[in-house]
Amino acid sequence: MSDESSGMHLTLEIWRQDDADDRGRMETYHLDDVSPDMSFLEMLDVLNEQLISGGREPVAFDHDCREGICGACSLVIDGKAHGADAETTVCQLHMRRFKDGDTIHVEPWRANAFPVVRDLVVDRSAFDRIIARGGYVSVGTGSAPDANAIPVPKDRAESSFEAAACIGCGACVAACPNASAMLFVAAKIAHLSHLPQGAPERDRRVLAMVDQMDREGFGNCTNHFECGAACPKGIEVETIARMNREFLSAALRER
Amino acid sequence: MLRSLGNALASSVGRKLVLGATGFLLVGFLLEHLHGNLKLTPIPGLGDAEGEKFDTYVEFLKSFGAGLYLAEIGLLLLFVAHIVIALKLAMENREARKQGYVVRSDRGAKTVGSASMHVTGALLLLYLIKHLLDFRFDAGFHESPAAFVAETLSQPVQALIYIAVSVVIGIHLSHGFRSAFQSVGFSHPRWNPLLVVTGRALAAVIALGFAWIPIYFLFFHG
Ligand code: FES
Repeated sequence: MSDESSGMHLTLEIWRQDDADDRGRMETYHLDDVSPDMSFLEMLDVLNEQLISGGREPVAFDHDCREGICGACSLVIDGKAHGADAETTVCQLHMRRFKDGDTIHVEPWRANAFPVVRDLVVDRSAFDRIIARGGYVSVGTGSAPDANAIPVPKDRAESSFEAAACIGCGACVAACPNASAMLFVAAKIAHLSHLPQGAPERDRRVLAMVDQMDREGFGNCTNHFECGAACPKGIEVETIARMNREFLSAALRER
Repeated sequence: MLRSLGNALASSVGRKLVLGATGFLLVGFLLEHLHGNLKLTPIPGLGDAEGEKFDTYVEFLKSFGAGLYLAEIGLLLLFVAHIVIALKLAMENREARKQGYVVRSDRGAKTVGSASMHVTGALLLLYLIKHLLDFRFDAGFHESPAAFVAETLSQPVQALIYIAVSVVIGIHLSHGFRSAFQSVGFSHPRWNPLLVVTGRALAAVIALGFAWIPIYFLFFHG
């Protein structure tokens, strides 16, 4: 697709912020010769090389696997978490989705619970603290158990697996008009609670994880369902309803 | 046990459950209220132009005596719980993202109804106060209910306010009904499309039903 003379010319409006205390601002950059085959992050790599060779500070952004499985990449592109493509992380987004001459706005996740560390990097340790409160199962530490020792119905295994697809990127929070983390928390609860292995901590898990979510200062879900639409792993908002049920029965059973 | 249940209901998920549950009960009240109000207009088997059926209905409600007051207190509590929780959530949600996006674009999941819940809710609260002053706390209403309503709603400004508020209720319910199911934990891929359609249909029926009454008094009565 790339024509012989050059690649795309892009104008980038990128959020720059020196540290957590800096007020931050959008800055404008021009990039020539962007190949449509580059991923969005590779395009930012090119920009950073250009900045570094010009003696300027590169743009800080999070990334790790670059294959859509780790959840590190976290950019809001033209107002959408992970960009406009459905079920695609930024690292899997390609420049062919943009047009020559486009102006692209790049911002970090915005939520009080995700403070900006620098430029496009936010601190998502709130998610880690939620996981630490109940996102685990107890297992015996003897010899390895036999495979299939615990029968799991197929539909349960599947619904658990669907929830387990959550990579914890935080796009749900970024996309939610209320900065709520309920899709993430619901997914983390669901993938354990749907399995017999997760049953012993089931009630405690949902109560503790919701409690931690509230402590972290995320907003409250009002069922806009923007989270589900933005989730790069296609986690359904039905998961949140399930968490609400699970929470109610745990609260009623609690002694 | 009660204390831990109280804590649970005060959490984000707990308040959402209460908001949804009170919302359902308020929709139930609205439907009965609409049923009663339609007696003001000539609908075969329901109401008549003279308002006799409506006056009989008011007498019937008053015949409960103290029971009616109890029901009113219950209703008041429902409204207060629904409103207080919604206000609290709206305020917290505003706080949850102090620094907003420079460019913001949603993916079309958000609706006019969902995005305006706090606005329609606030308007309905103001209206509720006005409505109670207009009828519940006005001695004229209690002397001859139907005639008093007719007199009030044949004033164009009053009628327009009541029509406008019917639309606001419709917008609120277009999101509220479906949303309440999700909040109390009901969601199923097989039923969700039906819930969306039912919610919108119910919102339209309630809005048109309530709007019909001022429209009738403004244009067709007397
Ligand atoms: S970098 Fe790992 S998911 Fe994008």
